[in-house]
Amino acid sequence: MHNVISFEHVSFRYPDEEKWILNDFSFAVQKGTRVVLTGPSGCGKSTLLYLCNRLYPENCDGILTGKIKLLGKDSSSFIPGEINHRIATVFQDPDAQFCMQTVEEELAFTLENLHVKREEMDNRITEVLALTNLSEFRYSIIQQLSGGQKQQIATACALIMEPEVLLLDEPIAHLDPYTAKHYIEWLDQLQQKRKLTIVAIEHRLYLWGDFFDRIIPLNESEEVSALSKRMTSMQSETSFQAIKIETKNFLKSTSFTLQRGEIAILVGPNGSGKSTLLKALCKLLPASGLVEPSFLGYVPQSPEFLFLTKNVKDEVAYGGGYDVDNLMDRLKLMDIAPSHPFAISHGQKRRVAIAAMLCDGREVILMDEPTSGQDAMALSELFQLIDGRAQEGTTFLIVTHDMEFAYCLADSVLLMDDGRLTGKFPAKDVWENDRLLLEHHLLPPKGLMLREKSFA
Amino acid sequence: MKFVVITLCMFTMAFFFDPWTPLVFWVSVLLLQILFSQIDWKKWLLFMLPFFIMAFGYFWTTLVFAKETTGPIIWSFGFVHVTEIQLDHALSLSLRVLAFSSLSLLFALTTNPVTFILSLMQQLKLSPKIAYGILVGFQFLPVIKDEFIQIQQAQRLRGVVQKKNAIQRLFATRLVLIPLLAGAVRKAERSAFAMEARGFTGERRSSYFHVISVGKVDALLIVLFLFVLVFSCTNTFWLG
Repeated sequence: MHNVISFEHVSFRYPDEEKWILNDFSFAVQKGTRVVLTGPSGCGKSTLLYLCNRLYPENCDGILTGKIKLLGKDSSSFIPGEINHRIATVFQDPDAQFCMQTVEEELAFTLENLHVKREEMDNRITEVLALTNLSEFRYSIIQQLSGGQKQQIATACALIMEPEVLLLDEPIAHLDPYTAKHYIEWLDQLQQKRKLTIVAIEHRLYLWGDFFDRIIPLNESEEVSALSKRMTSMQSETSFQAIKIETKNFLKSTSFTLQRGEIAILVGPNGSGKSTLLKALCKLLPASGLVEPSFLGYVPQSPEFLFLTKNVKDEVAYGGGYDVDNLMDRLKLMDIAPSHPFAISHGQKRRVAIAAMLCDGREVILMDEPTSGQDAMALSELFQLIDGRAQEGTTFLIVTHDMEFAYCLADSVLLMDDGRLTGKFPAKDVWENDRLLLEHHLLPPKGLMLREKSFA
Repeated sequence: MKFVVITLCMFTMAFFFDPWTPLVFWVSVLLLQILFSQIDWKKWLLFMLPFFIMAFGYFWTTLVFAKETTGPIIWSFGFVHVTEIQLDHALSLSLRVLAFSSLSLLFALTTNPVTFILSLMQQLKLSPKIAYGILVGFQFLPVIKDEFIQIQQAQRLRGVVQKKNAIQRLFATRLVLIPLLAGAVRKAERSAFAMEARGFTGERRSSYFHVISVGKVDALLIVLFLFVLVFSCTNTFWLG
């Protein structure tokens, strides 16, 4: 078997940075295998992938040493565009990889790039849609499809080029666990049909099961301890009450209460109204009903949406709260106090957002998908942060797709489906109830499965 | 294709100064519209309304504040005396506004932007780099709108109050724009990578899936437009 991709002593760095992102790195991928590269964010996974399809070094003027061989030839011997249809790529963001309106046009765009004759196009589009079981979507408008469907379409767009290698850049980072599982099974069948070589990067492997033949960790030195289940910090007094929250056209009447120091996780399939509920609770959307207290903290998926000032300290103090220094000390923000809130890391941004909310005296915090696209390191940091605040008496309501994270953190689980709150359950009851899990597109967390195995 | 004809018409119209030419032209464009297109007339009127007002404004100001005050007075109202030349100028200006606007509206309301750009690329040899760049931009508009609302909502929660004053509110959008633009730059880079990974190099393509062809209907339209153009330009001869 010959190598389709081989790296020999490759080092790479960006022109304006001193540090080498890849340092004397060698690896090879054999034809027909499934390989995954893992490692925390910033370890060079994406860089490596972009070197494989030759988006780098051209697009960033990076400095490259060593030898990269693609499909048996030196990588720099390909003309622009040539390699891209033999080594095709699927990216992580379902919203930012299409340029036409409908699925058919998008596929045709790819074929036009390859200078395929017009008479052949129709056949090839029909063929690839049949291969991927997506024929029913041929005339659909891409922006109206769900995230999972968009990723399937993106994969079809890659496959229509009849590539030998498929590169996947965290393809399931934005999908709910059930959809992700479905995508992986679908990909598994495709790989067997087409005898593709698959090279993926991914930092969370548990959903992939035994999909991959080989796992290449890029940065072994930093071992992150797995999350462990936290001690509950729930107190007996009620800190939050929502009574008959309802929006005009989607959200059906919803009531629930939360205790002081409680961490509640809100889960449900994509599009079931989780974000809508959070926004209705914060009065960002017009809704009827009563929320007590009315002054809630809210951290959107991109915390930078909240930022208004030019440095972290002003940002935290913006709401006119007192005791800013003490709070910043507790949230370890003192070191970055003079930095611009846009120039700090993602985890730090989130910490600033929470600090700002607490400083305003908002003791109940709602978080919208804080886990999506985060590596193990960032998750553990997030876990510490939320756990720490909860011990101090803050109440959390968190939307997430990450079941393991939810399992470790949750005191209680709120399930949602189709704009309706199915109910609030104590966390441990949910994980063992298969029917409830299936109805809400959930998967039992790995932590629980491991424990069950050891009991059996 | 329409684009070329319409631009041509506009340029020609710009060189005629008597009131009749634009009037004839405007009426015939309207006639064409009634006969051949399925335009939502309510929408059309709504879009035309500002142009009507503008045309009237032109009419009035040229009438009253014109430099040229010679010629026989045909109408007077208090101290305002309107001469024939003034009326002539005013009418021609305002009718020209109407002719231009109805022409552009005809174009805007009957053309699908995607088809328009594909046609520009295929017939007028616009670079695919620019054409597809614009198409991707179209895809982003709804996403950006969503994000704009999200940011506004998030900032309102921080205690940013909606200002009453329109100017103040305009100034306040600055706060929303910074995170919005930061996000847009990131998105743009991602989709550029995605396009390139699909083998897009920006070079001319050898075949198209959706060929935008110049059909019989287009040819007919062109002939009609040219006829209308010639007809209205030469009106002085046969209208006397």
